[in-house]
Amino acid sequence: MAVADLTTERRLSIPTGIPTGVLLAITGYFAGVWLGNEFGLFDDQNTGIILGYVFATAGFLIGMGFLNHPLGRLLGWRLDPLGEADIEVGLGRYFRLSLDHKVIGIQYLVTILTMLFFGGVGAMVIRTSLLSPTPTIVPAGNYLSVVGLHSVMMIFITSAAIVGPFGNYLVPLMIGSRRMAFPRLEALSFWLVPPAAVILGAATFWGGFPTGWTGYAPLSEQAGQGMDSYIVGFILIGLALITSGVNMLATIIALRAPGLTWARLPIFVWGILCTSILGLLAAPVLAAALVMLALDRSAQTSFFLASNGGSNYLWENLFWFFGHPEVYIFILPAFGIVMELAAHFARRPLFGYRVGVVGLFGVTLLSWFVWQHHLFVSGIAPVLRPFYMLSTELISVPTGFIFLVVLGTLWRSRVWLTVPMLFCLGFLFNFLIGGITGVYLSDVPTDVTLHGSYFSMAHFHYTIMGGEIFAFAAAIYYWFPRMTGKMLNQTLGRIHFWWMFIAFNSTFFPLLIAGLLDMPRRVSAYNPGLQFLNQWVTFSAYLLFSSMILFAANIIYSWFIQPVPAVANPWRARSLEWQIPTPVPARNFERVPLILAGPYDYGLPNAKPVADLRGLVGATGGS
Amino acid sequence: MAAETRYSAAEAALAALDVRIASVGMWLFLAANAFYYAAWYFAFFYLKALNNNGAWMISGLTRPSRAYGTIVLLLALVSAGAYALATRAPVRTLLWRLPAVAALVVGLGVVLFQAYEMWHLGFGLTQGGFPSVFVGLTGSWVVEWAAATFWLATIISQARVGGDTILRAAPVAAFANLLGFLAVVGILNWILLYFLP
Ligand SMILES: [Cu+2]
Repeated sequence: MAVADLTTERRLSIPTGIPTGVLLAITGYFAGVWLGNEFGLFDDQNTGIILGYVFATAGFLIGMGFLNHPLGRLLGWRLDPLGEADIEVGLGRYFRLSLDHKVIGIQYLVTILTMLFFGGVGAMVIRTSLLSPTPTIVPAGNYLSVVGLHSVMMIFITSAAIVGPFGNYLVPLMIGSRRMAFPRLEALSFWLVPPAAVILGAATFWGGFPTGWTGYAPLSEQAGQGMDSYIVGFILIGLALITSGVNMLATIIALRAPGLTWARLPIFVWGILCTSILGLLAAPVLAAALVMLALDRSAQTSFFLASNGGSNYLWENLFWFFGHPEVYIFILPAFGIVMELAAHFARRPLFGYRVGVVGLFGVTLLSWFVWQHHLFVSGIAPVLRPFYMLSTELISVPTGFIFLVVLGTLWRSRVWLTVPMLFCLGFLFNFLIGGITGVYLSDVPTDVTLHGSYFSMAHFHYTIMGGEIFAFAAAIYYWFPRMTGKMLNQTLGRIHFWWMFIAFNSTFFPLLIAGLLDMPRRVSAYNPGLQFLNQWVTFSAYLLFSSMILFAANIIYSWFIQPVPAVANPWRARSLEWQIPTPVPARNFERVPLILAGPYDYGLPNAKPVADLRGLVGATGGS
Repeated sequence: MAAETRYSAAEAALAALDVRIASVGMWLFLAANAFYYAAWYFAFFYLKALNNNGAWMISGLTRPSRAYGTIVLLLALVSAGAYALATRAPVRTLLWRLPAVAALVVGLGVVLFQAYEMWHLGFGLTQGGFPSVFVGLTGSWVVEWAAATFWLATIISQARVGGDTILRAAPVAAFANLLGFLAVVGILNWILLYFLP
């Protein structure tokens, strides 16, 4: 009898869910604003707005049910530690606080795609404005706000685009675990994202913010109340990176199935592991910097105010100490996807698996020692420049390892050119341009002229959109049958790929040239001699946006309108996540599997199957 | 508080696994935490070294009271020490319960005294670099300490007959590392904020 107690969770009788969450968020917002305006030290409203956002987020999370477990524990109730009682079916679970990593993966996927739409609309507004060399369509002040909203929204998205949907859904399946280490932290990492996006969007009510995603002081100190959205929204994303990092790393370290040695870990999981290390350690630095900015704007401290004992360089250093690892947070899981898919579609063992792992770790380590390459022209001591130039250029070595592994795997193989594989090849092409242009920016003499130009803007779009988003698309086409049991339409997929690939390059390659012709970023007016180039780019950008609409249409069409049930293992891949039934059972594996071989042993004469799904007799590890 | 609870072998294995997960998770969280405080220490030394406009520590600034700072630190050390002592005894014994409850009570004292000190600083937040760092660093630390105190209360509450802490010893052991970590940060803050400027 008493044993059964373990799985019967007592609950508070308050109804939880999105309606309660929204209600408490609104209440919290007004309570925070009232409190801030009543007791705030100065009458610029920032205290009230910051407190309002914080209370609104807390209210939302409480309404979703995040307080039930800690409160129940405080009251001494016997609780169900893993939320086993919460395993439920039906559409409703996607709209509730779910502790099932598969539900959270889908929640992330849909949220990321929705946010991507808004970020993309922002890009279209920017490009439309640039049809004319003088700001006729979007006024100059609003232009900067749109740039800020587009950039920060995209940063929020790309921080979680791969780890969120695919890390959460797939890591337990790939490591043979029946659970995540910290399902509540995992759920929290997801439910922090929608409030962050809404709070960011709320900046429009205050006229946006003028700083772009870098939030440089002293502009951030002087900016209007829209800046408060940047602060709170970004802190929430930082918390999401930390909670997700703790959960992912603990899961990969402690819950691998018996037999899954480090040398057998799928390379995608290595990518998730490295990106989680970066997120776990970089986001706290951002959080500290944002707390300082919030204090400066509300309590009138002077962290970034040089006239009163502070320094704007303090922000720039803390921000980029986070900011540079952040860009590898974007790209490392993408590296993982491209290496993973190369092996599966070339049907041969991953060439230089260990080299690939070393490459991922090399990037992870070096990314802590390069941040001042963003400050070459900011007035830092010139003596610092050579070190940061060399450390940055050194990163091209482990990045080269990744290319070596992928190209070595594809070399002289008969590649199965599926839609996901096409996106991987597109990744290689785009990221090569992104990487090579990055070398010029890391080089002090060239950076002095290229800094702040469209060259740098086109460079990071080549790495983030041409890199991470192409890998993101590859992952959707590849794992969609795993996650939904439906095949995405492959013909539409091929059209999508070529459309997106051509439109992407037609958009961003000319922008490299615009940068070399001295067109500055973040400015709504430009040299009229560059109008043709800009109109070309704008029309290409419209095509790029429409390719994403086609992508969305394919997803909706193949998921809901004309679903084609996927066969069990449509790519006939060896890896563990494809060896279990569709839909994936509630606890993934009936028993913890016994791993017998690595995931890439294609074509080896005496290769064993990847796992014995009957498990070790008597084994409970990883349960 | 019904009869003795029996646990199946599977649950015992689950509990053993939980100990490892909680321990790994806590070390990861503390690593993140270390980077958070490192950012604050960087701010401390950076602003102190730059001393922009001579406003790191303006002349005539009332220093924070060493007496208050020392009281808060001592309370934090007693709390963390008492909890460390508790973890040496099995949960549910008097030797666990007494020091754990003491850690909770003293831990609450840390929050109250620190809040009292923040209310009676003797300097204004607008008075330059040092007051900024003092408030941010001390504020971050006490907020985290308060959250840890809440957590400690849940652990004590669960350490009754039939509570899940008896079986799942994980949070009990891992939590000691959190209090220990916060105590170390408290010592560093005490040296920097009360003796170094
Ligand atoms: Cu960088």
